[in-house]
Amino acid sequence: MTDTILVVLAASTIRLAIPLLFAALGELVSEKAGLLNLSLEGMMLAAAFGGALGCFASGSPFVGLVVALACSTLVAGLQGLFSIVLRANQIVSGIGLNIAVLGLTTIGARALFGRDAGFTIPGFGKLAIPGFSDLPFFGPVLFAQSGFVYAAPAVALLMALLLYRTTPGLALRAAGDEPRAVDKSGASIAAIRWLAILVTGLAAGLGGAVYSLADIHTFTENMTSGAGYLALAAVIFGRWRVVGTIVASLVFGAAASLQFQLPALGVDFLPPALLIMMPYVLALLAVSGLVGRQSPPRALALPFHR
Amino acid sequence: MVHQHFSLVPELTVLENLCLGSGWRRFDRARERARMAATAERFAIDVPFDALVETLSVGERQKVEILRCLVQGPEIVVLDEPTAVLPPGEIDALLGLIRRMAETGKAILLVTHKLAEIERVADRITVLRRGRVTLQAAGREVGRKALASAIVGDAAAGIEMTAGRGSRRIVRRQSGVAVPPAALMLDGIVLLDRLGSRRVDNLTLIVAAGEIVGVAGVEGNGQSELALALSGLMPFAGGRYFVADTELTAATPAMVSAAGVGVIPEDRHALGCILGMAVDENIFLGALAEYRLGPFVNRKAMRQATGELIQRFDIRCEGPTAPFASLSGGNQQKVVLAREITLNTRRLLVAAQPTRGLDIGATRTTYGHIQSAARDGAGVLLVSSELDDLMAICDRIVVMYRGRIIGEQAAGAYDRAALGGLMAGHA
Amino acid sequence: MELARILRRASTSSAGAVLIALLAGLLLMAVLAPSLPNALAAFARGAFGTTYAVGASVNRAAVLALVGLGFILAFRANLTNIGGEGQLAMGGMVAAAVALKTDVAGLPFGLAIVLPALAGACAGGLWAGLAGWLRVRRGTNEVISTLLLSFIALWLVYWSVHSDALLRQPRTSATSLPESADIPNGAMIGMLVPPMHQGIVVVILLVALVHLTMTRTVWGMRLQAIGLNAASAKRAGLSIPRLTIGAMLASGALAGLAGAFMIQGEQYNLKAGFSSGYGIDGLVVGLLARGSAPTVLVFALLFGFLRSGGIGMEIGAGVPSAVVLTLQGLVILAVAGMEFLRLRQARSLP
Repeated sequence: MTDTILVVLAASTIRLAIPLLFAALGELVSEKAGLLNLSLEGMMLAAAFGGALGCFASGSPFVGLVVALACSTLVAGLQGLFSIVLRANQIVSGIGLNIAVLGLTTIGARALFGRDAGFTIPGFGKLAIPGFSDLPFFGPVLFAQSGFVYAAPAVALLMALLLYRTTPGLALRAAGDEPRAVDKSGASIAAIRWLAILVTGLAAGLGGAVYSLADIHTFTENMTSGAGYLALAAVIFGRWRVVGTIVASLVFGAAASLQFQLPALGVDFLPPALLIMMPYVLALLAVSGLVGRQSPPRALALPFHR
Repeated sequence: MVHQHFSLVPELTVLENLCLGSGWRRFDRARERARMAATAERFAIDVPFDALVETLSVGERQKVEILRCLVQGPEIVVLDEPTAVLPPGEIDALLGLIRRMAETGKAILLVTHKLAEIERVADRITVLRRGRVTLQAAGREVGRKALASAIVGDAAAGIEMTAGRGSRRIVRRQSGVAVPPAALMLDGIVLLDRLGSRRVDNLTLIVAAGEIVGVAGVEGNGQSELALALSGLMPFAGGRYFVADTELTAATPAMVSAAGVGVIPEDRHALGCILGMAVDENIFLGALAEYRLGPFVNRKAMRQATGELIQRFDIRCEGPTAPFASLSGGNQQKVVLAREITLNTRRLLVAAQPTRGLDIGATRTTYGHIQSAARDGAGVLLVSSELDDLMAICDRIVVMYRGRIIGEQAAGAYDRAALGGLMAGHA
Repeated sequence: MELARILRRASTSSAGAVLIALLAGLLLMAVLAPSLPNALAAFARGAFGTTYAVGASVNRAAVLALVGLGFILAFRANLTNIGGEGQLAMGGMVAAAVALKTDVAGLPFGLAIVLPALAGACAGGLWAGLAGWLRVRRGTNEVISTLLLSFIALWLVYWSVHSDALLRQPRTSATSLPESADIPNGAMIGMLVPPMHQGIVVVILLVALVHLTMTRTVWGMRLQAIGLNAASAKRAGLSIPRLTIGAMLASGALAGLAGAFMIQGEQYNLKAGFSSGYGIDGLVVGLLARGSAPTVLVFALLFGFLRSGGIGMEIGAGVPSAVVLTLQGLVILAVAGMEFLRLRQARSLP
């Protein structure tokens, strides 16, 4: 009995954590380079919408995925325009993009999918890996999830390699701390930050696509409902490190899954609201230095002027 | 070029910092490491490649900075005041490195004011003063005296200020008469910068009421830090700070002002004023308690008082409510002066480079006000790199070098050449 | 004169931004609406067609104005408080709690209304003050802390209306919603012209008060000083910690009061998510106002009427009110972009 509950908990933890993971890792790359993207939420929502749109129009979830990535990258590109080219206030422009994307996707959903609240699209189903998926506990938890889950470790590894083993990654990390040093060494801060934000766009796109193409095969208004902000909190709680961000995403995923499962477990005393707010509390503790020491990249959210 | 202010990224390792800027190639750690190691070995520079820069000492960081420069294989290397931040022990190592670099055929341009170092490594010397070349010779031929006088120049180009000196009240010890406490007493103070280097090292100084003490020295020898600490903006890492009878070692700027200390800061835009506000606001920001009607600012009284100060200090501006940024540099300094002298200075006036950027007229009036502050009984600590000005109005001149006072002269016995030598480190 | 200065301020980048966004919005409407004149008529009706519409719009404007005032007050000290939504939520929640759980309803002299409202203001103030304290003590950037606190506050409200022990109304049937009970009549703010409640009078007074505070008081001048040059201000003897926390307290208190107004003046009970984006809109109003309190009122009215118009347009002409939402997003982006032009202009001056 408890076994099944644990399995369900663990499986849903992973399932809920994955979109956060993608978005958070993507945002990590941007923040390491000094960019703060509040529009992460907008990128994810745009991807969820684009994914549904592409899949709806073509019947193929793969096309949907491509459209999703295109949409989120478009939003990222706009954020880049404001943050890098116009050197505008990154917080203000981020919030603006979120609101605009919310408005546009809502309008788009009504216009394109009509009032048909229950429309579905063929999405990505669960991919059970033969053999492994029969293992007790780990089977259903790790090996019977959607394709996105399997892609996650690869993406995480790719990000880590990018940041720590390539020259652009090195320049990227330096750009977030001492942009002047990078500028002096001849590299272009703008180019580095564009690279970073495009990576973020793609990663956030993966995260957003999970919602409409893997989780629930449809699109609803404001589908991501704050996942982008949670991902931001995950970066903070993970202290701007790759491993930390992954752990933070899992913790937040666990909180989300507990929020749904606890009532089923008959646990009444812990209000679900407490679990929902836990990620934000953790992030707040982290950023106030009450839990550990690492601090944000020093040039975070500061526009770079030569 | 190796600047005074390093452009290293503290959160990255030495190796990573060295590799910054090598383009978009894939980061082959092994190959880069080998390349860096080879260069390091050639010049006998020893740096730990895998340590985070933030854990390194200043001397080690400088080595990294130099290595980064050398790796690019330059023909000419320019070093800007490289020993300014180094403790004495590491200077030898640096000079040795400089000579090694030269031996490999590179041309080295060393910008410094430290005589001792010039003597040890320079093959040729050029002295610049006020933008002109005053000396050019081969290293071995020039004696210390000639060097020193080339640096500080000959007498008489400065302000003639003989009037007024005699009428100052300098309190001297007389038997039977109570001696008022010194305006300023610094006892063994130590000031550290962000990286932990000692910028002021065990400094002791006393300024009597009514006395004008000049602090001479080339900029960068701890004077800026001293002025900051005296304002209450920099914590003391050691020693004690007294004004009259009040200890101000742990004082906030508000307490410092309340104790009767006026400070004319070196960088008036950063610390002395608020550009976005008006002249009257700049003057009375710290004294709003006296210019308020309940919760409201008493603008009328403020404007009036400002008007008087504008007259008295000859400040050229559109009026008391003119935006501060619309004033010329000289007039801005007059505003700062007016504020500090009339509002804060009762016991001590600390003036750091007060005439920098001012024309001859403004300079004259500035010193006039400083002298009258002393006449009114305040002690004055005048920090300046203009030796002539100091010699013209100070009762005593002390010379700061590397955070310490290495020499002192009294008025009437000023020896320009000796002072110049002291300023350049020759005790 | 004051009016001229207000108009001049509004006519620079902010007005330009709004204009661009309005044009874009019109374009959207034209694309989406079967008939543009119809849509515009429905919009107008919803915004100011009936007394009801006008009243509702003014109520909305009141809330937005308060949040906007809070924003510009903190911004004067160079503090960016983007947690208006959360402070508003805390304010509404505490006001409802005081109205429901204590015996204020029986108090005379209008205290039944004033006390919950004050409690709401205090709650909002403390919520923002917390972020200020974190900044002073731990150096935490107030943008991040106010944002996170905002989310926490929203979920606290959710919790309070879902928990029987807290504010949830007694479950008389299987279908009773997770909301609070209605607040007692005594705690409801009186009406001017229904549905416009008396709170708007308070708001107008506060606009004047905040304006006076920022431009004529000692405290206001000190806030301006630390906002422009904290180092020099410190040198002049100002206490940065005290002023920072003070500014945040005041800023949050205004937003908290806005929340109280929403509960006591319009909704009369507490529901989860009652703040529905007013905090964000108020933030935008504050940004557009460029530090001027009267301008806050102007833009608050604009946005208040916009919102009502959007709803009317949806009901009357089937054009989704999300158009107004998109428009708001575009306004914000336009403001952010204009900043760049203004900076470029400023830097090219001698």
